[in-house]
Amino acid sequence: MALSTDAYRALEDIVGPKYISQDLAVMDSYAYQWLAETVRPGQSKFMPRPEAALLPGSTREVQAIVKICNKYKVKFKAYSSGWYFYGAPFSEGVIQLDMRRLDRVLEIDEKNMFAVVEPYVNGGVLQAETMKRGLNCTVTGAGASSSTLVGATCYHGSGGTSIYTGELRENLLGAEWVMPNGEILRTGSLGSGCGWFCAEGPGPSMRGIVRGALGARGGLGVYTKCAVKLSAWPGPAEYPIEGTVPAYRSPMPPNFRAYTVAFKDWDSLFESYYRLYDNEICYYAHRQWTMLGANLGPAFWMLYQDPTKSLDDIEEFARKREVKQLTKEMRYSYQLVLVGMSQRDIEYKEKVLEQILKETGGWKVKKWLEAEMEQFSLLYLLRLGKKNLNFVYTGGWVGNYMQSGAPDFVKKYEPLAEETTGKFQATGLLVDCGADSMMGCVGSIAGGGQCGLEQFGFYDVADKKSTAAAIKWMKYCIKEEAKHNIPPGKEGMYLAVGKTHEELQRDLARQPAIHTWQRKIKQAFDPNNLGDRLYPTLDEK
Amino acid sequence: MALEDYRDDCTDCSRCSYCKWIPLDHIKSARFARACPSIEYCGFQAYSLGGRLSVALSLLEGRIGYNDELKNIVWECQMDGACDVSDKICRYNIRGLETMREMRFKLVEDGETLPQHKAYIDNLHEEQNMVMEPRASRGDWAAGLDVKNLAEEKAGVIFHAGCRYSYDEELQKTARTAVTLLRDAGVDIGIMGEKESCCGGRAYQWGYRKELNACARRNARAWTKARVKTVVTPCAECYYAFKRLYRETGLTLEIVHVTEYIDRLIKKGKIKLTKNVPLTVTYHDPCHLGRLGEPYVPWQGTRKKIYGQIPVWKPSRPRYTGAWGVYDAPRNVLKSIPGLTLAEMERIREYAWCCGAGGGVLEGYPDFAAWTAAERLTEASTTGAEAIVSACPWCERSFIDTVKVQDGKVKVYDVIDLVQMAL
Repeated sequence: MALSTDAYRALEDIVGPKYISQDLAVMDSYAYQWLAETVRPGQSKFMPRPEAALLPGSTREVQAIVKICNKYKVKFKAYSSGWYFYGAPFSEGVIQLDMRRLDRVLEIDEKNMFAVVEPYVNGGVLQAETMKRGLNCTVTGAGASSSTLVGATCYHGSGGTSIYTGELRENLLGAEWVMPNGEILRTGSLGSGCGWFCAEGPGPSMRGIVRGALGARGGLGVYTKCAVKLSAWPGPAEYPIEGTVPAYRSPMPPNFRAYTVAFKDWDSLFESYYRLYDNEICYYAHRQWTMLGANLGPAFWMLYQDPTKSLDDIEEFARKREVKQLTKEMRYSYQLVLVGMSQRDIEYKEKVLEQILKETGGWKVKKWLEAEMEQFSLLYLLRLGKKNLNFVYTGGWVGNYMQSGAPDFVKKYEPLAEETTGKFQATGLLVDCGADSMMGCVGSIAGGGQCGLEQFGFYDVADKKSTAAAIKWMKYCIKEEAKHNIPPGKEGMYLAVGKTHEELQRDLARQPAIHTWQRKIKQAFDPNNLGDRLYPTLDEK
Repeated sequence: MALEDYRDDCTDCSRCSYCKWIPLDHIKSARFARACPSIEYCGFQAYSLGGRLSVALSLLEGRIGYNDELKNIVWECQMDGACDVSDKICRYNIRGLETMREMRFKLVEDGETLPQHKAYIDNLHEEQNMVMEPRASRGDWAAGLDVKNLAEEKAGVIFHAGCRYSYDEELQKTARTAVTLLRDAGVDIGIMGEKESCCGGRAYQWGYRKELNACARRNARAWTKARVKTVVTPCAECYYAFKRLYRETGLTLEIVHVTEYIDRLIKKGKIKLTKNVPLTVTYHDPCHLGRLGEPYVPWQGTRKKIYGQIPVWKPSRPRYTGAWGVYDAPRNVLKSIPGLTLAEMERIREYAWCCGAGGGVLEGYPDFAAWTAAERLTEASTTGAEAIVSACPWCERSFIDTVKVQDGKVKVYDVIDLVQMAL
């Protein structure tokens, strides 16, 4: 439905003419999204065009916009950093709220170890500010460019340090939520005027309600502020950066260690996860380097260290004896950062790691012990400022599987992930980088106990056949998962975006209780149905 | 090349927003984490590199046509390349800056020019400068200087002052100092005076590629006639044009920025800096000397796919990442000055914030240019420096004008000015 002139004027009155646009070029810059090509007709890179884009500058403005949307029955969708198609309108007739003007770190409470942020504060910014104060935040696995608030309120927000710093979902404290009906709800302790320190009270706890099964991802109102819990950071107040772009490095503080540890097989690898949970020695634990494929990834990581080289040189690197050896050595591997709160502490943690490796038959991969490689690892892993290297091969990937659970559960779907991926890589339509292109947290929640593996499939976004193969691969994985009694992973969530209402209803009916309750919640908070299906609900019969 | 040749660069954009930030590893504070003046000033996604790639794709697909907003999207940008550096940290094959430039070429070639630029381009055609001045007075800046006129004589080194230094009376003393400094150090140097022509680099960045070729031909002809082997310029924009753009036309002369030349002479002991200059300064990396000042690498190649779907080029296509720009020479010179303290800003080298003057913004969107400069001056002031120093007259003009409006106390110098103080 086109935005009426009256509605447009009312919106313009709120933000001012500078911060609203209906220009088609501007609209297309919002419609363009990675992954659109997997769900849109003709593999278009464009999601539906918004009716207008607005840049609100305050909670009050957001509230006023939402009220106008209710008055004129206009759907709205807010995004922060705006990365991938979940942020875009899913249908015609939606206005886009670009939250980039709400970009302040409002408070860092050192004593109570939390930060209050607005939507456009990303992990990289918040981390820089917290580290100055001896604190650290969780940078979501999507990387430092992603919004902290969104990770905390609308997704799970787990990352490499989650085993120590927690998942952003866990770290959410007080929050300010403009509900879909235009009312503002302040949750947790904030709701009773007691400050930001607690998510559950004194005051209303809405954590489960608004998050739903995963997170509403912009489908149920707009978060305008939230507080997140912080953790200790016994490192430098400011990362000293060395090295030449892009291979930036940071010197290793004496109480830090960065390792790539490897094992002879998956069983030993997963066994080591349990031991890491039990011993609580990790600051960072994540399977990262293999995201570019266990077979080809090592060649890329070596290439990346040389600023004179480009992706065009990867074959040359893959042929090197040293790289072949490294590929073999780190076939079953992941990355660890140990951080000592004191020198004794790091020595203790080091000893525990040695013992775990001894008991599980693991080893520290030698190449990654070289000073420059260690320094590169440290910076890459803790800041996640280069995380979008997962786009380096082709500009497109989908991450299948990624169901979180105990290591024994993840171990169950790992062979299937390899088998289904290898089959498609063999067609030549996905990048043949090794059927194990799996990345994921060793411990996705604080203290560990839960992990996950996301299987990357790289397709060339500029190649219709390759893109079609990625779509086919996702569908195939869902079928194979069903055969093995494994729930669909992220691929199910991706494809859901392109499904018809009827198809989606069939899927949601498989978990009727959750989606019926979500419908009741939505009816209560979004009576005019102005959010989209990212807060999925099962229709009333 | 045509915009169509950049279609894959457009579709490859992962909409990750890296282009809006300095390289994320380098973020030191919330205040100075941003890289792109355009998106910060204009707000909407279309005014970022990622946004412009999607707009280019939309244009290619016929989803949109030309209008005034599109012109703003295309031209309200300094083309400073900070986005490109950040983008290429992860996206090896994307040519973001080149795609944005190709959009400008397309609009100009389709007759969809920015009206604010017209007078400047007309003046370039008629008077061979980009500052709306008559050609006849181009050499006035050097009046009374005892230096060879290479329109009539020969020399190994030519000092190319550039449009800004040639006509900006407040800045001309810097160019005069530079020539005197090099001559006194024994360099066989000359100037073209009135016969000097615009480098064409600014016009090229505005989208006028034919104008660059005309300027390049004119300058190359004059330099060849004067038997020049080395071109020295104090202007970062000219440096970029000669070093990167002229090379594409086959020019093989040595191209040196004056700070590089002075750095060499200091190292050889031919310039001795002895006088104490008790100043704390901060250095602003001009975009066209720094991240855009990398040498041109000749290349021709063919595309193929390896490992099934990875598109690569054989031989390897050069990657301009900002790694090999001129960053150290000006700093070396500053560090050679007795008593001078260099206090660095948060955004430096390949991820420096722009001065605001490039890409046709100064001429097309002066308020935006001034805002960009003000942002840099704020950053400079947080270092505790008494002065901001640069190595480009466009940056300096931008800062001087903004300081005046701000009623600020930060002084603005060129590296050459400080060298003179130390002699």
